[in-house]
Amino acid sequence: RAAAERPRFAPPHPLCSPQAPSKDAVRQLCQECFSSAPAALGPLAQLACPGLAVSAEEAEQLVSALHNLTRHVVYRGLTRAEDILCLFPENFHQNLKNLLAKIILENITAWRNEAQASQISLPRLVDMDWRVDIKTSSDSIIRMAVPTCLLQLKIQEDAALCGNNPVVSALTVELSKETLDTMLEGLGRIRDQLSAVANK
Amino acid sequence: AADKIRLIPQDFFAELCEQIIQHLNHKIPGVNTAELCQRIQTSGVEINVGDLAKIANILSFLFSTAARNNLSTEELVTTLGSAGSTLPKHAVQVIRHVWNEQGKAIAVSEDARNMATVGQFVDMKWKLGVAMSSDTCRSLKYPYVTVTLTVADPSGQITDKSFEMTIPQFKNFFRQFKEMASVLETV
Repeated sequence: RAAAERPRFAPPHPLCSPQAPSKDAVRQLCQECFSSAPAALGPLAQLACPGLAVSAEEAEQLVSALHNLTRHVVYRGLTRAEDILCLFPENFHQNLKNLLAKIILENITAWRNEAQASQISLPRLVDMDWRVDIKTSSDSIIRMAVPTCLLQLKIQEDAALCGNNPVVSALTVELSKETLDTMLEGLGRIRDQLSAVANK
Repeated sequence: AADKIRLIPQDFFAELCEQIIQHLNHKIPGVNTAELCQRIQTSGVEINVGDLAKIANILSFLFSTAARNNLSTEELVTTLGSAGSTLPKHAVQVIRHVWNEQGKAIAVSEDARNMATVGQFVDMKWKLGVAMSSDTCRSLKYPYVTVTLTVADPSGQITDKSFEMTIPQFKNFFRQFKEMASVLETV
């Protein structure tokens, strides 16, 4: 698996050359390489190429290596500088190694959250709105006072399947006092389970 | 749709009519078209859920209109014949039988439930899980709640909707429901 392999860099390194991009540019490149899906690395390399003053092929290798390195760190859950530094080959340029390790450490938490947010899952609840109404009359009943709840849930389909255009569907549901109590009972049991698990 | 009715074996058609009548009588929250469709498909008949849902809607409309107009069995069968549709004979037989047995019991009931304009909540199933590992993070330990809501839409069809929540989302979800309940109490 790409994420599990040790990433490799081909010396001499474009990020060390006199035309090397600034630290901020390197930081941004690392972020883009992490966030990019493997299939999108090609286009990313093409965009990065001019700023790096390298050949198209070298740009592809660089982007690919950065992608693998950053994904590997997140996959393994590495948090210490030593663990990250030892991923680099021995003859690797010292300053660049330190810079990359620093950038990675800065971004680890955000990247981990990003990985969790985009992992496969059932559709996710993104919003919830509700309203309590009283039904006062209808064509079949002249007078009544029936309280009822209207609930609207906004649910986003699996991000992994929708790419950059997540589909959000709305589910509108009416609850009576009885069905609301059923719901509360179920939710209460979840809450109890959560406490039980948290106390273990 | 009359063509598709032709495809449904008599016993399944009878079951569908039964469920529809029971729904109109408020004995069950809705018609489980998806589940019925699966059984029909397993028996070798090629019909999809959409078509079955349309047929269920038509039958529901037929029975509820007949109830509102207090039609006798013979009047109902005559109306069916004169409507120009060519229902298969076995279908007419089932409709006649079901109406005879249970049609009169469909009261135009004085009930607030009659006015469904949105889906009605039927049931909630839940699961508390912990994601241990994924292709992006070898060690996750990420807790989440999965909920499946069973809803009867305005036409009486039952559908399930499943989704996930993070723990903070769940806590907010629970809190909102408690608020709803307390508002419902005081109103």
